[in-house]
Amino acid sequence: MTIQVVDVSKRFGTFDALNGVSLDIAPGELVALLGPSGSGKTTLLRVIAGLEQPDSGRVLFNGEDTTDTRVQEREVGFVFQHYALFRHMTIFENVAFGLRVRPRATRPGEKEIQRKVHELLGLVQLDWLHDRYPHQLSGGQRQRIALARALAIEPKVLLLDEPFGALDAKVRKELRRWLRRLHDEINLTSVFVTHDQEEALEVADRVVVVNHGKIEQVGTPDHVYDHPATPFVYQFLGNVNRFEGRIHRGVAHIGGGEVLAPDHADAHEARGTAYVRPHDIDIADAPDVSTVEATLDHAVKIGAMVRLELSRRDNGDFVEVELTRERYDSLQVSEGNVVYLRPRRARVFIDDKPADGAAVKLNSNSKLGSDAKTPHAA
Amino acid sequence: MSAIAIASSTNTHTAKRHKPFPWVPVTLCTVALLYLALFLFIPLATVFFEAFKKGVGFYFNAITEADTLSAIRLTLIAAAISVPLNLIFGIAAAWAIAKFDFHGKSLLITLIDLPFSVSPVISGLIYVLVFGLQGWLGPWLDANNIKIIFAVPGIVLATIFVTFPFVARELIPLMQAQGRDEEEAAAVLGASGWQTLWYVTLPNVKWGLLYGVILCNARAMGEFGAVSVVSGHVRGLTNTLPLHVEILYNEYAFAAAFATASLLAGLAVVTLVVKVIIEHRFLKETK
Repeated sequence: MTIQVVDVSKRFGTFDALNGVSLDIAPGELVALLGPSGSGKTTLLRVIAGLEQPDSGRVLFNGEDTTDTRVQEREVGFVFQHYALFRHMTIFENVAFGLRVRPRATRPGEKEIQRKVHELLGLVQLDWLHDRYPHQLSGGQRQRIALARALAIEPKVLLLDEPFGALDAKVRKELRRWLRRLHDEINLTSVFVTHDQEEALEVADRVVVVNHGKIEQVGTPDHVYDHPATPFVYQFLGNVNRFEGRIHRGVAHIGGGEVLAPDHADAHEARGTAYVRPHDIDIADAPDVSTVEATLDHAVKIGAMVRLELSRRDNGDFVEVELTRERYDSLQVSEGNVVYLRPRRARVFIDDKPADGAAVKLNSNSKLGSDAKTPHAA
Repeated sequence: MSAIAIASSTNTHTAKRHKPFPWVPVTLCTVALLYLALFLFIPLATVFFEAFKKGVGFYFNAITEADTLSAIRLTLIAAAISVPLNLIFGIAAAWAIAKFDFHGKSLLITLIDLPFSVSPVISGLIYVLVFGLQGWLGPWLDANNIKIIFAVPGIVLATIFVTFPFVARELIPLMQAQGRDEEEAAAVLGASGWQTLWYVTLPNVKWGLLYGVILCNARAMGEFGAVSVVSGHVRGLTNTLPLHVEILYNEYAFAAAFATASLLAGLAVVTLVVKVIIEHRFLKETK
C-alpha cells in the first residue's frame, strides 16, 4: 500500500500546523516523522489516519483519493501515545473490539474471533494476559496490546503516534527494536511519529524531518545524518558546533581559521555559519590557516571516547569535540591548555537574514553542553 | 557515627511533623459533629418522632389517605418523566461538550447551570408567564383546550427545568478527564458513533451516570418552589408530596404532615445510602 500526501495544509485557529506538505511513502516502508513538539508531525499522522480533516490538499492510498473517506472506513491501524486501551474491557475484548463492531455481514464468527485474537496476542507475546484489564499491565505491555488491537482489523497501513513516548528509556529501546523486527515480519506500510532522533535513526527506513508545519528533509537515516539539507536538520539530528563567520569565494572565514565551502564559490562577503559535528574536529599540533584557537575547559571520558568541552579564544563560544581515547592520550593536553581546532568536515550555510540575533544567542546558550541538540524551533 | 546522628535527628523531625497540633483535628471533628447533630440529625429524628407520635396505626392511615396517595402518585409521575428525559439530555450535552469542539460551547455550559443559579420560584414563574392564561401562549392553549399551568404538565415541566443540570454536571468533568483517545481509537477500529457511545463512552462513566440519576431523582421528588408556583395546590389533583406536606401543616394536621414528610426523609436517607455505595464502587474501579 502506498501513501501519498499531496500539498496538505491544516490550520488550528491562527496556528499553521501543516503548510503545503507533500510526501510519498512506498509499500512496506517504515517511515519516521521526526520533529520538535509543535512541528506538525502528529497532525500529519492524524490527517493520514482521517482523524483530522485537512483544510486543503489530498491523501491517497494506493493512488486512490481517501481524503473524504471517514476514519471508520479508512482501514488504518492507529497506535496512540497513551495507548488508549478501553479501560473497562479485558485485554482480549480490547483486541476483539475492531472485529466485533463490524457490520453483521462482514463480522467473523465467535470461533474465528477467538482464533484471531489469540493469534495476535501470540504475535505480541502477551497471550497469557488475555483476561486482565489494561490497568493491570505495564506501559510496555499496554503498548504492545494497543498494537495487537490495531492489527486486528487487518489495516492497510499502520500509524503510530509517539508509540514509545510514555515509556522509560530501557523499555523504549527494547520495544523499538521489537517493532523493527515485527515490521520486517508483517511488512505493513508504517508511519510513526517521534521527537527522538535516535529512535528515528535506529528504527526507520526513511526519516522525514518536520519543522514549522513543513518538511525540511526526507531521506534514509544515514543520508539525513550525514548530509543535512538545512541548518535545522543539522542541529536537530545529533550534536553540532556552529561557527559563524564570513563567506567569500568558496571559503568560510571563522574565528581566524578558514574552512572550504565549495557550495558557495560565488558568495561575496556573505554572513554564514559552518556546522561541524563534534567527531569531525581534530586537534592540530600547531596553528595554521585552517585552525581555530580554543581553551580546553573539560575532558570527559566516556568509554572509548573522550568528549572535550572547549571555549573559543576569540569569542568564548562553546565548542564540543569528540576524540577516541587513543587520540586524546597522544595529544598530551590537559584542562586549561590552549589547543588548535581543525574542522575536518564542515557544511556551510549562508544566513538568510544578515544579522541573525537569535543564532548568536543560541550559540552562547550551548555552553550548557547538550543544547546544541536542541532545535531553535523548540 | 555522624550518619547515625543525622538519621536520629531526621527521625525526631518526622515524628514531630506527624502531630504538630494534636488538638486541631479533635476540635475540628467536634465542631463538625455538633453542627451535623444540630442541623441534620435532630431535625431528621424529629420528623420520624412526630410522624409516629400518634401511633403506628395513625401513621399508616395518614400515608394511605386518598389525597396523600394521589400526591405520591403525582410525585412519582413527575420523577418518572423528568429523570429519563434529563438522563438523555445529560448524556447528549456531556458527550457534545466533552468530546467535540464547537462554537458556543461555554454558552451551553452556562445554560446548563442556569437552573442552579435561578431561584426555583422564578423558574416556576417563567412557566406561568409563558403558558399561563395571561401568558404568551395562554390564549392559544386555552382556545385549544390544553391545560399546562395548574395541571400535571406544568408540574412535570417545572421539575424537568429544575433538575436538568444534575446528570450533565456529573458527566461533563468525568468525560473531560477521560479525554477523547478511547473514542478516537474506537473510530479508527471502525466503530460507528452509536457503537462508540454504547460500548466505550457510557461504560466508562456508568457510576457517574448512576450517581447523577440518583441526585436528579432526589431533587425531582423533593422539589418545592418551582412546582408550588405552577401547581395551583388542587388537593388530590395537582399536589406533589412536598406541597401536600405544606398543606397538611398549614391545616394544623401536624402528625399527618410529619408522616408524609417522613416519606421524603426516607427517600433522602435511601438516596444517601445508594450514593455512598456508588461512590465506593466508583473509587474501587478507578483505582
